[in-house]
Amino acid sequence: MAELWRANIAAHLAFYRRSRLLLAFLILFAVLTALEFVPQLFVSSGVQNFNTLREIFSTLNFFLKLFAAGLGLFIVSAHLRNRSLKMVFTKPCPPAVWLGSAFVSALIVAFLLNAMVLSGLAVLSLLWHIPVRSGLLFISADTFVASIGIAAYLMVLATLLHPALAAIVAIVFNADMFYEGFVWARSSIRAGNHSPGLRVLESVFHFLYLAAPIIHPFEKKTENIYSSLRVMHGEWNYLLYSLGYALALSAFCYFIALAFLQRRRHI
Amino acid sequence: MIRAENVRVNFRTGFMRRQIQALRGLTLEVREGDFLALVGQNGAGKSTAMYCFLGLLKPTSGKIEVLGSVPDLGRPVCRKIAYLPEEPHYHLYLTVEEATRYYASLYGRRVSDKAIHDTLERLGLAPFRDLRLSKCSKGMKQKVGIAQCLIHETQLLFLDEPTRGLDPLAVRSFRETLREIHQRGATIIMNSHVLSEIEMLANRVAIIDSGRVVAQDDLRNFLTADREQYCVTFESNGSVPDYLTSLERHGNLVKGVIPKEKLYDFMELTRNGALPLHECSLKKTSLEDKFFRIVSAGHEPEAAEPVSQSR
Repeated sequence: MAELWRANIAAHLAFYRRSRLLLAFLILFAVLTALEFVPQLFVSSGVQNFNTLREIFSTLNFFLKLFAAGLGLFIVSAHLRNRSLKMVFTKPCPPAVWLGSAFVSALIVAFLLNAMVLSGLAVLSLLWHIPVRSGLLFISADTFVASIGIAAYLMVLATLLHPALAAIVAIVFNADMFYEGFVWARSSIRAGNHSPGLRVLESVFHFLYLAAPIIHPFEKKTENIYSSLRVMHGEWNYLLYSLGYALALSAFCYFIALAFLQRRRHI
Repeated sequence: MIRAENVRVNFRTGFMRRQIQALRGLTLEVREGDFLALVGQNGAGKSTAMYCFLGLLKPTSGKIEVLGSVPDLGRPVCRKIAYLPEEPHYHLYLTVEEATRYYASLYGRRVSDKAIHDTLERLGLAPFRDLRLSKCSKGMKQKVGIAQCLIHETQLLFLDEPTRGLDPLAVRSFRETLREIHQRGATIIMNSHVLSEIEMLANRVAIIDSGRVVAQDDLRNFLTADREQYCVTFESNGSVPDYLTSLERHGNLVKGVIPKEKLYDFMELTRNGALPLHECSLKKTSLEDKFFRIVSAGHEPEAAEPVSQSR
């Protein structure tokens, strides 16, 4: 079994290394970040530098989460679309192992990219004589934890839908959108509109908001860390809670994706 | 080794979810050590049957047993199975060597560099070991597929049009390899449209038409079932005996087929009538003749019976 995991992870890492689409995304993200921040690098003021550092970090972490979504999406959809899984599943390699190894490979790549961004920002921090704050590590870890859930969620969508549709579903139908729908429906009811349809809609939005995966379940509790890059005693626990949520979500997504993968015709 | 009973596979395709019956009650038995060729027209259901045997496709109804268990994806019994697909649906981002190693490793045991090297060398892939499959020709991809079938000594081989895209030298070498594997005791199931190749390799043939096995038997029975007939060519004096079939006339020259029991009568006829006899030979049937005859005869139920009882 160990050999199966090793072989699959090695193949998946080769896929990531050689995927031109992922490389294009990586270059695009790097160029966008550079265009936004290169001019600010030449402004030398302590406060300005700190703000720039924080914004670069925030932008890069946002891109890392998008990239994690791409990792989850492409590994599954590329193999399903070129029908190469028949070469795997006609050997003593069950879909559970293939899917699990794809997920682990996505996490390895996400972890390495997070580590690179964190190291880069730590170096920049030192160059600008800004003390390397623990918040950098926290945010980086939080981004990685969020990436776990995102990659798993996109893997499920990739087993069900065409990759373009999966991306649209992930972008449009998320917890934030359902929450906004729920708030809108509730405000309308409070404003005096008592139509039964609106009440049903409120319940539906509420249910979907609770059911849809959340990227940062403790966003409100940790927003101070994101602005000050300082972590207070006890705030590290939120990282553990987020990890727990991400792992539970991933396990749920894994079993759903596995069920769909086993039901698909790999011919 | 493989037993399929009344297997039906229905697909739904298109926007209107139109139903297609890919297999309509396929019944087949493959014995240990068989080299079975599945023959049929395009869309007859040969590949679908193979997908069912491999667990890639679940039948809508009917029973399938392969190596004593119901086929499913990635089950442990696949350790004894190798599969060469019809289309090169491989991991195109891997190099020739990486792909061979990867597919070999999926059997759950580490493969030595020597085994990989020897297999690539044997198939003439060694100079292209670092070439990505996406850059390889169809024939080279096919060789990679063959390499992953050969690297472990499997008991059961499924080959879906294995020589498609191969050059003549590679075809010959592949044939030799298949013979070796079969002599070693492996059971082979091969889909192919190259009937001459089947005649060279297989020892059993199943003809599939419209999702059903319409004939299955030992190859030699297929080829000798019509040997009780004689082809004759003679100059007629106007009338021909009524037992003469498959008539062809060119002036007073007549060609036809006569049953063995009428051979003596025919010889008497030509001698008494002083009819010049140009040819009288035992009729040779090729698998191609047999295939065309069975397929063009339609799907009568009796056609599903063995050509002759060989067990």
